[in-house]
Amino acid sequence: MEIAKNMDLYKKLEILSDAAKYDVACTSSGIDRKGSGKGMGNCTAAGICHSFSADGRCIALLKILFTNECVFDCKYCVNRSSNDVERAAFTPDEVCRLTIEFYRRNYIEGLFLSSGILKSPSYTMELLYQTLYKLRHEYHFEGYIHVKAIPGAPQELIEKTGFLADRMSVNLELPTAESLRRLAPHKTRKKILAPMRQVQLSRKEHKNELMLFKNAPQFVPAGQSTQMIIGATPENDYQILSVAESLYQKFELKRVFYSAFVQVNQDAELPALPGGPPLLREHRLYQADWLLRFYGFGAGELLSEKRPNFNVFLDPKCDWALSHLEQFPVEINRADYYTLLRVPGIGPKSAQRIIKARRISSLDFADLKRAGVVLKRAIYFITCSGRQMYPLKIEEDFILRNLMYSQSRTPAETVTYRQLSLFDDDRVFGEVPQQLLQAGV
Amino acid sequence: MVIFQCEDSVDGIFTGVYDAWDSRIGHEAVALRLREKMDLELFAEYREVETDAQKAAKVARSVRSKMGQDAYRVIYQAALSAYPEKADCIYRVIVHGMSANVTKYEAQNVIWNLQSRDVCRVFELSRKVGNEAHRYFQFVRFRELDSGVLFSEIQAENQVLPLIGEHFSDRFPNENFMIYDNGHNDCLIHGKQRPWFILRDTSPDEVAKDQLAVREEEMQELWKGFCRSISVEARENRGLQRQFWPLKFRRWMTEG
Ligand code: SF4
Repeated sequence: MEIAKNMDLYKKLEILSDAAKYDVACTSSGIDRKGSGKGMGNCTAAGICHSFSADGRCIALLKILFTNECVFDCKYCVNRSSNDVERAAFTPDEVCRLTIEFYRRNYIEGLFLSSGILKSPSYTMELLYQTLYKLRHEYHFEGYIHVKAIPGAPQELIEKTGFLADRMSVNLELPTAESLRRLAPHKTRKKILAPMRQVQLSRKEHKNELMLFKNAPQFVPAGQSTQMIIGATPENDYQILSVAESLYQKFELKRVFYSAFVQVNQDAELPALPGGPPLLREHRLYQADWLLRFYGFGAGELLSEKRPNFNVFLDPKCDWALSHLEQFPVEINRADYYTLLRVPGIGPKSAQRIIKARRISSLDFADLKRAGVVLKRAIYFITCSGRQMYPLKIEEDFILRNLMYSQSRTPAETVTYRQLSLFDDDRVFGEVPQQLLQAGV
Repeated sequence: MVIFQCEDSVDGIFTGVYDAWDSRIGHEAVALRLREKMDLELFAEYREVETDAQKAAKVARSVRSKMGQDAYRVIYQAALSAYPEKADCIYRVIVHGMSANVTKYEAQNVIWNLQSRDVCRVFELSRKVGNEAHRYFQFVRFRELDSGVLFSEIQAENQVLPLIGEHFSDRFPNENFMIYDNGHNDCLIHGKQRPWFILRDTSPDEVAKDQLAVREEEMQELWKGFCRSISVEARENRGLQRQFWPLKFRRWMTEG
């Protein structure tokens, strides 16, 4: 496994972006930061996608590995040590130059730097740190940086790196400790959770400092994220979503990403996936994740031991509404923000507009349409001033049949697996801004 | 009917609002139109509005203070729209909010009124203009010219340059850059460590804009290669790619 010394930059970039592409996180969201006026760059909290690759995913960051050399042998990964693939490594200056030159042409929002394990976790983390240090202090880059914290690297090193990055992530890889043991023999759940906890605690500590001293340096201001591979191991949706929920609650993660397993290695331990990666399942998990973060749902409301997997035909919100008909209809002119949000066909934007508009006068169905409500879904679940739009039965089978009929005709639901704009409730691009969430509360 | 004809710019429209209001003819008996965009009507009297920055600033100030910053933003963005009848809609919305019998509380909420046709139209125009501006945060592509200037060409439907100047100047304080909107023949210009501005009815030098810096082509090749290798074949989905990234933008982009 030789790393060619004089490989040209084009070839390196090809190898090291190809090796990074299975990491699904590519968002630049979570922080608003103006430029200082001296360097180059700023950050926009909603995130900006600059391009879209042939798989329809957003390109926001220069997503690369520092090296695809790796001493570990995770069974699901192309870069595992037992694979015979071409290896390459950047120098810190090469990473900096690419970032700067791409950024100033407005190709990207910043850098997403990850790496295989070169020699040891600490050696690798040190390289990542040096690269970021150069980029911030020699190249004066003020755009977005997402960096991996390598499990097993010394705490001080992770801490120092965190002051240079906007977001840090440690991948959980697989939903349970058992699966991890089976597929990633060099990793343990404990080792993965340790840096996650460290980043969480440091963030808290430095937030307090920031309240005292306005110019204290910021530690991972856009928060941390993680990723789980879906469908390489036997966990059900309920287990996966519950893990995500506890990561949000106990580790205060900003995002959990779900990556449909792509078969890159032949290995007896891995499932055969004749239908390709489980994209629809991944899509349902993203929808449910969105409901956890922005709609106030709990994992236990959406799924249970008895019904551990999502409905293939209905999005999780419709599915929930149908099994909770006793909570409907909702009166549009009175319901609070979170109650409105639970109505299929109403999203954060339309809920906000309803709340503002009804201060002026009470609303009827025509007004709702102008507010952006998707009526063909909502009509089964709402009244305006006590009236339904048509005399409809609030009955599970009847609504199910009608919703499925209307769903099969909304292309956004059936043929595409969107990561961010998730329901045809609302065409939300990027994350929902904080003001929207506070609007009705 | 008295028709006030104004120039197609924010200042032009705001001056029109000022003149129409100030004429005391009565809101029902006046209309505001853009100069080039209209069929002449019989039995109407036409008055030319001469764009006046001070009158426009007065209107902007009053709207801000009575109707609020949100409403002002919505109206301002709508005034950049390509919709030919925007001027009159904007006039109606301002009348809605600024009339003497409207309380400040009501005025602050006018923009959320879903029952007024004009408010809904202005809201919608503003949303579209805002969305298009955001598209250019995403899709502007600079190329480096041999003069060191970063140059970008776009073809916008609405006048988005005033909405993107701040973003790019904050991002690139030390660059000389220019964004040319060939749809409107306007240039956004930023000089290193200087404030940005817009030159209307100006096109860049045809020869200079194609003289690339030495390493420009290499950078473009690196970027195009990256866009290819970052895609996961097993997930290929061209339809989804097209949905997020319409052809009309791709045409002007490096990797399009
Ligand atoms: S540590 Fe495991 S997942 Fe990461 S690059 Fe190495 S083999 Fe792949």
